[in-house]
Amino acid sequence: MSGGRLWAAVRKEFRQIARDPVLLILVLWLYTIEVAICAYSLSFDLRDEPVGVLDLDRSHASMELADRLDRADAFAVQFHPTSEAEARGLLESGDAQLVLLIPRRYEERLARTGRADLQLLVEGTNSIMALTALGQARRIAARSWRELLRENGILLAEVPAVENRVRVWYNPDLRFVFEQVLNSIALAAYMVAVIIPAALIVKEKESGTIEQLLVSPLRPTELVLAKTIPMLVIGLLALGPAMLLARVFGVPFRGQPLTLILMSAALLVAATGTGVLIASLVRTMQQALLVAFFVLFPVLFLSGTMTPVESMPRPLQLVSALSPLRYYAQSLPAIALKGSGLGALWPDLLAILGLGSVLFGLSAVLFRRRLV
Amino acid sequence: MIRKEFREIRRDPLTLWIAAAVPLVFLVIFAYALRIDFDEMPMAVLDLDRSRESAELIDMFGNTGDFAVRYRPGTEREVGHLLNGGQIRLALVIPRGFARELAAGRTATVQTLIDGTLPSTGSVIRNEVEAVTATYGVRLAGRAASGPLPVGPVVEARVWYNPALRSSTFIVPGLFSVILMAFPPLLTALAVVREKESGSVEQIYVSPLRPWEFIAGKMLPYVAIAFLELASVVAVGLWGFGIPLRGSVAVLALGSAVYVFCTVGIGVLVSTVARTQVVATLLALVITVMPSFLFSGFLFPITSMPPVVQAYTHLFPARHFNVVSRGVFLKGVGLRELWPQIAILGAYTAVVFTVAALRFRKKVV
Repeated sequence: MSGGRLWAAVRKEFRQIARDPVLLILVLWLYTIEVAICAYSLSFDLRDEPVGVLDLDRSHASMELADRLDRADAFAVQFHPTSEAEARGLLESGDAQLVLLIPRRYEERLARTGRADLQLLVEGTNSIMALTALGQARRIAARSWRELLRENGILLAEVPAVENRVRVWYNPDLRFVFEQVLNSIALAAYMVAVIIPAALIVKEKESGTIEQLLVSPLRPTELVLAKTIPMLVIGLLALGPAMLLARVFGVPFRGQPLTLILMSAALLVAATGTGVLIASLVRTMQQALLVAFFVLFPVLFLSGTMTPVESMPRPLQLVSALSPLRYYAQSLPAIALKGSGLGALWPDLLAILGLGSVLFGLSAVLFRRRLV
Repeated sequence: MIRKEFREIRRDPLTLWIAAAVPLVFLVIFAYALRIDFDEMPMAVLDLDRSRESAELIDMFGNTGDFAVRYRPGTEREVGHLLNGGQIRLALVIPRGFARELAAGRTATVQTLIDGTLPSTGSVIRNEVEAVTATYGVRLAGRAASGPLPVGPVVEARVWYNPALRSSTFIVPGLFSVILMAFPPLLTALAVVREKESGSVEQIYVSPLRPWEFIAGKMLPYVAIAFLELASVVAVGLWGFGIPLRGSVAVLALGSAVYVFCTVGIGVLVSTVARTQVVATLLALVITVMPSFLFSGFLFPITSMPPVVQAYTHLFPARHFNVVSRGVFLKGVGLRELWPQIAILGAYTAVVFTVAALRFRKKVV
């Protein structure tokens, strides 16, 4: 392998990428603006979710409850239906996803028997949201009751009870932004590093210039390296603005920058390996892009960037173990939030590197067979 | 022209396979993988009390099925190591004197440590932990007190449309809009940009073919493919996943037809902007796939987004098709409720085509 030859080939690739400003803008967009919008807005938390309250009791207790519901961050009481039919209409039209029904004699029953039933009509099409809403509503109802007891100076009978002090580590407020920012960065890095090398190589194939390159003194390894190095450099450079953005969103960075760079480099190499493998399998640019694009997506979501790997059925968990992105997606928050170093993350690093070399090895074999 | 395009599609079986099979793969993976609840989450317990009561509480955690007690560290430091290393996402610490406090009729305190790096999982864990503790509290109180317990207000949920709160029932109708937004625009855009890249588009400009004929010829085969994709995905949704179809097929067909033309139109629009296929792909990624995933209410509730972003979601037709799709499949509502969404989709399609045609003409002249 010759350094000079390789350097010339790398320079050529850089020049080719730089010639297309739209491409660079799109890459930058994915790394920054898309990350920002996602971080700013995506969450499974409820915020001012429109709620209807049908209060048939109109007592102090029922109004306290409705008021507390409205004051909670998660909900905003926007509708006051007067009948069950009207309440049903709200769910059907989609104006409200939740309607709380407070039955007649709610207060009286609570005072007399210590128990009263409330009904919550839930539009269950979004199951994740419905579960969250139900949990929140239950907590609010319990708090409202405790408040009433306190007002009336009633203390619950002295019974043994258990208090569970929950402490959340690394991200005490369970802020979704952290996960979102870090995941988006991982996604952007991976997508760009798969698509672009695949496209670069197939372009040479389509235009026939790959034959020229192969008869040139450039070895196949050098050819692949020349296609890999620019992506590595661009990917690592793009990490700069992305981490800056993470800082703007208040994501703490407790780990070592070097750990991050090392892990990212490993991921970019593995992703490039995926791209090269795709390139060696297809004939035309259209095929390359389609394969890259649509093979990517399932990989992205199986890697735990959207929903946790632990929640997936076992067979899919096994599949996700084959994705380098999975290891990166779990180590990125570990580096940023836990401050983990290579001491804890070396298995992930090894997994990424291992999968990367398998991908490269496979594509080298395929490449040679196609061309010879 | 249409025949030529069909022939080209046929000549490329790989592309055809991708167009036909990948949507189904999407459907299966997403319907199974997009969950945030969990089973048998590994946890650690540090029991410093070693009493009958502490063992009982630990058993309750194990018996829920949500948690599995895998580690029994001996010290708090070990608990910290387990959390740091990522082997567990939660740990329960029961201090010495737990049983003594309970026996005295006082409130005993335990501690739960949760890894917050995955907040969605973290909050589900927190809810479950609180629920288990509360159940244990009720059991203890039941032993101590006589007569009915004051439990306060009991919120009973009546869940509509998806009573079992199955996530696949929620995911699949939303996926229809995502899949249609992911495939047809990209296929169409690539088909046009390919001709641009190879320069054969110039030949078409000088041929007697009018620009609109060129666009229509490029488009219609992909509209056909899009309809086939829709049909296959809907079939798998209905029979594979048991998604109910409560509304009228006619309304669904109308909404889908408008939406399909819209998605293909976006593909044409992308092709007028992009010069190379790589750019077309990334552009499609940014303006079709990502928004239809993230900003369409497919997964993340739009009402939770800040107002600016809520306005931004209106830019993407997937949001409106989601309402139509979920409305017809799950709610069984009809044209009376859904006409605004269908009208908006129609307006979209008109705008997309007008802009695409204008841009195209400018190039030609």
